[in-house]
Amino acid sequence: MELMDKFTISASMLLTGFTIVFSVLIFLIFIIWLYGFIITKAQEKAVDLKREKKKVKIERKPEEKPEPPVNKKHIFTAEKDDSLSEEVVAVISAAVYSIYGSKEKVKIKSIKKSASRSAWGNAGIINNTRPF
Amino acid sequence: MEILERFLKALEGIFTDSGLMTLGWQNYVMIAVACVLFYLAIKKQYEPLLLLPIAFGMLIVNLYPSIMAAPETTLMSAADCIKAKGTTQGYAVTMLDGVKYYNVPHYGGLFYYLYQGVKLGIYPPLIFLGVGAMTDFGPLIANPKSFILGAAAQIGIFITFIGAIFLGFTDSQAGAIGIIGGADGPTAIYVTTKLAPELLGSIAIAAYSYMALVPIIQPPIMRALTTKKERAVRMEQLRPVSKLEKIIFPVIIVIVISILLPDAAPLVGMLMFGNLLKESGVADRLSKTAQNELMNIITIFLGITVGATATGTNFLTLSTIKIIVLGLLAFMMGSACGVLFGKIMYKVTGGKVNPLIGSAGVSAVPMAARVSQRVGQEENPGNFLLMHAMGPNVAGVIGSAVAAGVLLNVLR
Repeated sequence: MELMDKFTISASMLLTGFTIVFSVLIFLIFIIWLYGFIITKAQEKAVDLKREKKKVKIERKPEEKPEPPVNKKHIFTAEKDDSLSEEVVAVISAAVYSIYGSKEKVKIKSIKKSASRSAWGNAGIINNTRPF
Repeated sequence: MEILERFLKALEGIFTDSGLMTLGWQNYVMIAVACVLFYLAIKKQYEPLLLLPIAFGMLIVNLYPSIMAAPETTLMSAADCIKAKGTTQGYAVTMLDGVKYYNVPHYGGLFYYLYQGVKLGIYPPLIFLGVGAMTDFGPLIANPKSFILGAAAQIGIFITFIGAIFLGFTDSQAGAIGIIGGADGPTAIYVTTKLAPELLGSIAIAAYSYMALVPIIQPPIMRALTTKKERAVRMEQLRPVSKLEKIIFPVIIVIVISILLPDAAPLVGMLMFGNLLKESGVADRLSKTAQNELMNIITIFLGITVGATATGTNFLTLSTIKIIVLGLLAFMMGSACGVLFGKIMYKVTGGKVNPLIGSAGVSAVPMAARVSQRVGQEENPGNFLLMHAMGPNVAGVIGSAVAAGVLLNVLR
């Protein structure tokens, strides 16, 4: 191979590789961003619709105290459990705060111990949540 | 007397067939190399799941080269056939100049047949199936900009291509050597079998060795290219990704990449199929098989037969030394380009991106991401970069498959 040929092949491969790899992956960024946006919007809409329906039901029952208006995205609903220590509540609150931050208004309404799982159930959860 | 004569003849036959007479010095050097790899795999635990089968394949082929022998057919006259096999029945007949010859087959060695999975490009996509079934693309979906870092880390492939061309390799061989920079063993093997099968042993061993050495090679590059302030950046929590997004992701990726780059379809297709099995939640048994039994079986076959391509005469050449040097260069360039693009993202986002996650753009999953996490924690013990680095890391898997598609398309 002549020196000039080597330059030509090298330059054309570098240009082709760089352009195609970046173009394809940047195109994928756009596609993922687009469908992520559409799905998130659709899911938010579905949640809002559910909330609306719930609100209408509550309004039909005047004897029950209606829920305060909520413009929060995430609500945790569970029954009260007195067996939990304050430390556990603090840790759960901190974890929720670290996920959603201070930008979103999140309210923990109650915390409940889940029903104890069998050893097989625990093994399944560990297996499915272990990253690698 | 005749008994003694026969006994001595048998001893002589065994001695002349033994390794003491048939093996050359190159085989003994390769046996020593295999022992070094055993040490690295067992004692140092460098990618033991791959290095151990590779080393064993290397050892056994250099002790008994016929284990990789190809099958062949000998044409024998009727008399010779009866003498050798006791009969002429069951053998195909070929007529040459009016004389009948019998086709007596000699079967190939065990590894020859197992090696067909490598040679025909079957094992690498099956490994990708398992990798896909084990990979969570959530961090990439949450932060698709990671794709830029996955693309940047592939630049090393194309820069190394230039180096290989100027060191005297053909363009196909240069492409196969460059792909080492993707730090993806199955991709390197897949591309090499298509472009330069004669270099398979050296390239596969170089690729897997550098993947095993990620924790040693990358940190000095990462530290040299970043400032203390950049390394200490804490990144914001990634948004949660819904199940629906995770299910749609593999389908979209396979459609887009297969349309744009059909040569990358076997690798990306199997990667995404594995991921769909996992994320769909309706094929748990298949997903578990892909990530466990199938993956383990293919890893054994792939490792041992790739190791078996490294015979003394093939491996101990000047080309191997060049490949090892170029492979290291490719790997270092890929890591450096990833970090440099990470720095660009750091500037563009006003310091929200830690450049250390850029080195994870080489697709050694999840080792490269773990290295980003470790180096980040050295500066700031409360910094958790692992999930942020997983984005570029899995983007690197897709990026190296795309780069492989480009090389195959242009050079084949």
